[in-house]
Amino acid sequence: MMNRRIKIIFAAGIFLLILSSLAGIFLGAVGISPAQILADISQSGLSKSERILLYVRLPRVLGTTLAGAALAVSGAVIQAVLGNPIAAPNIIGVNAGAGFFTVLCLAVFPNSLSYLPAAAFLGALAAVMLVYTIAKKTGASKMTLVLSGVAVSSLMNAASDTVITLFPDALTGFSSFRAGSVSGLSLSEISPAWIYILVGIIGAFLLSHDLDILSLGDKTAQSLGLNVSLVRLIFLAIAALLAGAAVSFSGLVGFVGLIVPHIVRRLSGTSENRIIIPLCAIFGGAFVNICDIVSRTIFAPYELPLGICISYIGAPFFIYLLIRKKGGKHGD
Amino acid sequence: MIELKNLYAGYSKKDVLKNINMRFDKGEIVSVIGPNGSGKSTLIQCCTGILKPTSGEIIIDGKSISEYKEKSLARTVSYLPQINPVASITVRSLVMHGRFPYLGYPRRYSKEDREIAENAIAAVGIEDIADKPLSELSGGQQQKAHIAMRLAQDTDYIFFDEPTTYLDIKYQLEFAGLTKRLRDSGKAVIAVLHDINAAFTNSDKIAVIDNGELAFFGTPESAAKSGAVEDVFGVKLLESEFGQYFFTEK
Repeated sequence: MMNRRIKIIFAAGIFLLILSSLAGIFLGAVGISPAQILADISQSGLSKSERILLYVRLPRVLGTTLAGAALAVSGAVIQAVLGNPIAAPNIIGVNAGAGFFTVLCLAVFPNSLSYLPAAAFLGALAAVMLVYTIAKKTGASKMTLVLSGVAVSSLMNAASDTVITLFPDALTGFSSFRAGSVSGLSLSEISPAWIYILVGIIGAFLLSHDLDILSLGDKTAQSLGLNVSLVRLIFLAIAALLAGAAVSFSGLVGFVGLIVPHIVRRLSGTSENRIIIPLCAIFGGAFVNICDIVSRTIFAPYELPLGICISYIGAPFFIYLLIRKKGGKHGD
Repeated sequence: MIELKNLYAGYSKKDVLKNINMRFDKGEIVSVIGPNGSGKSTLIQCCTGILKPTSGEIIIDGKSISEYKEKSLARTVSYLPQINPVASITVRSLVMHGRFPYLGYPRRYSKEDREIAENAIAAVGIEDIADKPLSELSGGQQQKAHIAMRLAQDTDYIFFDEPTTYLDIKYQLEFAGLTKRLRDSGKAVIAVLHDINAAFTNSDKIAVIDNGELAFFGTPESAAKSGAVEDVFGVKLLESEFGQYFFTEK
């Protein structure tokens, strides 16, 4: 049962998502008003405003909403599975793994956009399994886990750079991919990924009770009859699926999976995943929509890559979490 | 009854427990005592299916532990580990998780599940904090919530690993009262304890583990007479005029 506070947060989140999506459609270097669109509809053929709206803004807003939802839910899942509130797809190397396999896929199959989400998923899964294996083998502390992620990230980024060096034509605009950008995003780039994201979010929600049990610690979860190894593997695969699908079209957008789950837990006052996962999907979409609007309007007509804009918020937030943890006030 | 036969268990191919033979009966409180690192926690982790023995047998109600499916075992044996993460959920939500072994898919609680959880909350006396988040509670209150969750699991055998460590005397006495009520309701309560005096006062049987071996298993009176506790811990046993046992420095 949901209490009143959580119902209000759900309503506020949906309102914010709708508002940010509409703002994303109508705001930009070229301002388009709803009245102008209504006036253009009555004319035959597509006007300039309609073309901008259909081929530029709409795919972009769909992309940011999907990427934000996917990365936020992926972060919430990773944090619950690893029992580490400062873990997130970009921090433990999941995004970098997805990025490496995306670049590799583009080098090997240059004309097959439909393979990208699957390749990114495999890269994300490889990275998350590598970090998890290191943590399990060494009995690593939460901080060591993050440092392992930094090492895995560096390894995956080095591998991406190697591919780019060997196949310079593999990814034109690699710098914007690395920075995280949704500029010029088309529906054909999103279309193979959205189904992965939908499956991942629905899967995480349907299994959210098992994720709650896993969050109680391995021994307790096992003593409650949960198949800990299997459930953990399923959730790591879901997290990799979501992060991989997002990275395949948005590039290496970081920190969404760190910031949004923390904000959502703080707002709702709970860590119950049947509440947290849908809230992360809603607020994650709204957050990335807003960041994208800022990134393309703040220096208009120049555009700041989305990932850079989010890093300006995410990096200080990460430092804040580290300081708060050091001070022993970490309760999430 | 849980019966351990020629049990060997450990970590990384090194046996911590060596040739353990003992049994836990319903309607009894058993305290497991021993020096740090002697294998007490390993023993109860084997009995609860957390750790697989390297050899030997664990028979629960006539059936080998390996024949139990995960949820079936969780409906028979519950376990409170030494350390529990503090989730940002309410006490009531935590206690409801004790019903997980009884849930099918989708994970929906029945009216009976809710009643059993409420009874567990009442049994531990935490009705007044049932809607508070765990993170806002004291260590003692959090421990009570975790104990209530294991009661909601409604198993015949309940294993506690150092349930009263770091808790003040009031909580320790409340825990002793609770274990007696559970024993009287026909359950087996097995607790790893560091406080030897409490173990002798509140238990029906004492198991003394030393260096991975069962040094003694029997009633507190026979344990006192055997001298096993004095040998293992290097302490001196005193008996009060009321027949109570106390341990002091030699």
